[in-house]
Amino acid sequence: MELPVLNETPAASAGGCSSHSCGTSDDQLGHLSDEIRAKVENHPCYSEDAHHYFARMHVAVAPACNIQCHYCNRKYDCANESRPGVVSELLTPDQAVKKTMAVAANIPQMTVLGIAGPGDPLANPERTFETFRRLSDEAPDIKLCVSTNGLALPDSVEELSKHNIDHVTITINCLDPEVGAKIYPWIFWENKRIHGIEGARILIEQQQKGLEMLVAKGILVKVNSVMIPGVNDQHLAEVSKTVKAKGAFLHNVMPLIAEAEHGTFYGVMGQRGPTQDELMDLQDACSGDMNMMRHCRQCRADAVGLLGEDRGDEFTLDKIEDMEIDYQAAMEKRKVIHEAIAEEMHSKRAAKDEAAAKHAAGKKLNTRPVLMAIATSGQGVINQHFGHAKEFLIYEASPDGVRFMSHRKTDLYCSGDDTCGDGESVLQRTIRALEGCEAVLCSKIGYEPWDMLEQAGIIPNGEHAMEPIEDAVMAVYKEMAAAGKLDEARDEQRATA
Amino acid sequence: MALKIIDTCVNCYACEPLCPSKAIYKAEAYFLINPKKCTECVGDFDVPQCASICPIEGAILDASGAAINPPGSLTGIPPERMAEAMAELQAH
Repeated sequence: MELPVLNETPAASAGGCSSHSCGTSDDQLGHLSDEIRAKVENHPCYSEDAHHYFARMHVAVAPACNIQCHYCNRKYDCANESRPGVVSELLTPDQAVKKTMAVAANIPQMTVLGIAGPGDPLANPERTFETFRRLSDEAPDIKLCVSTNGLALPDSVEELSKHNIDHVTITINCLDPEVGAKIYPWIFWENKRIHGIEGARILIEQQQKGLEMLVAKGILVKVNSVMIPGVNDQHLAEVSKTVKAKGAFLHNVMPLIAEAEHGTFYGVMGQRGPTQDELMDLQDACSGDMNMMRHCRQCRADAVGLLGEDRGDEFTLDKIEDMEIDYQAAMEKRKVIHEAIAEEMHSKRAAKDEAAAKHAAGKKLNTRPVLMAIATSGQGVINQHFGHAKEFLIYEASPDGVRFMSHRKTDLYCSGDDTCGDGESVLQRTIRALEGCEAVLCSKIGYEPWDMLEQAGIIPNGEHAMEPIEDAVMAVYKEMAAAGKLDEARDEQRATA
Repeated sequence: MALKIIDTCVNCYACEPLCPSKAIYKAEAYFLINPKKCTECVGDFDVPQCASICPIEGAILDASGAAINPPGSLTGIPPERMAEAMAELQAH
């Protein structure tokens, strides 16, 4: 099985047989064994392909934490913020099981239940493991996964392996305790609060030990890292290399989220997050050593739905209280729907492979790469109105093909009614978020944004509605190339080569 | 001799399982310490356990009413910088 979307091959090394044109599998999971691929292919957080189709949810059963991170503020419990560590209501294991089954019955494409906080799941072993124990009995068709800071991980590996949990995410921001001391002010360890380098050293040791133990048990490990410019950005390539060598199968480098109003150390002290370019450069630098994940949405510890959407409001405690769920019936319905989705995914993949092979066999264009923004609400097609997009997916087209690069969040500028009072400034913000892109592909777009995009040097394009993303990006790329729009930087590249 | 949890507690549950005297309990709005049971961990640990894991500065007071984790001690944010940042946000 081959996937034509290039996620692996860095653009700079796109020659020879490491490149797409030799027919190697280029997506982030390309190198994995069939067994692992089978495990992750319907997991939206692990497979870029799957995240267009399958949904996930988090249940917030784990409030306690055993460390402090400078990007986190434990005081926040806010409905309007979307970032890890934030939740609206804390659940008991019983409520979590009920909520999970309600979501599974109503959003049948939900395949994955994760426990991710709002604290550290493994610092709340009783609540976390009771939730897992009950779900593996009562809802065996749901994949279970957990994410952790790693401090309590070595002590939990045995228990994790008992509950059918085959995916664990560890957040590893550093290997060097001196770097760690700038990220983690303290940990709670052996009945004491331990500050500074010593605390960071213990945390790092536990993370690495936990990683090795999970790999030895055959549990899949993804590593998350927060990119903090000036703190660990120079260090993360080494982290990537090390965790890959120890057997982690995917690395997810995420940008620091730091705003003063979040009340975090980094937010208040004015630490900046990385720019889109800095993040993409680091992801490319790491991708030589590691499979990089680029579609993470850094979701809340109580998120529900497809990545990039949150339907948590439909499943609040008072609402699920009134839902009668026949899980046996739901499971049968889910099975049919999952099979249909899998079939659709496979046929789309086959079509993508064919298109990629055709592209590879054809005459190779000689252009610079170009970034395009896509408005989609799922299924891997262009099916969203420009003004309704809460985020855009960014794809790169180059002579080597089309590859997914990242997503960019935007403020929704039009809610569909007539009350768009400050619409213009929000539209300007949206256009700023698309910096570096030269085309936007969406199902429809209004006159006003059309003009503004053109003025900003971004070509709006509504001609590929309902087409598969890669096909449409390739078609627009070819048009741009034929029009000579992608020639200029070729000379620049030669000059710097 | 007893510690006290005040209303800035965020209900994170971290302290409750650590208490060697089972003095901490979940109350209506936030966690409380039963002063009759609290020993400040004397005889069990070198430092009071609840105050050693609590992530919220100022949420746990000693017997004299002083914050065991004063402002800035856990987050590393100097209190004057925090005040400045909050004033800037309010001004917007």
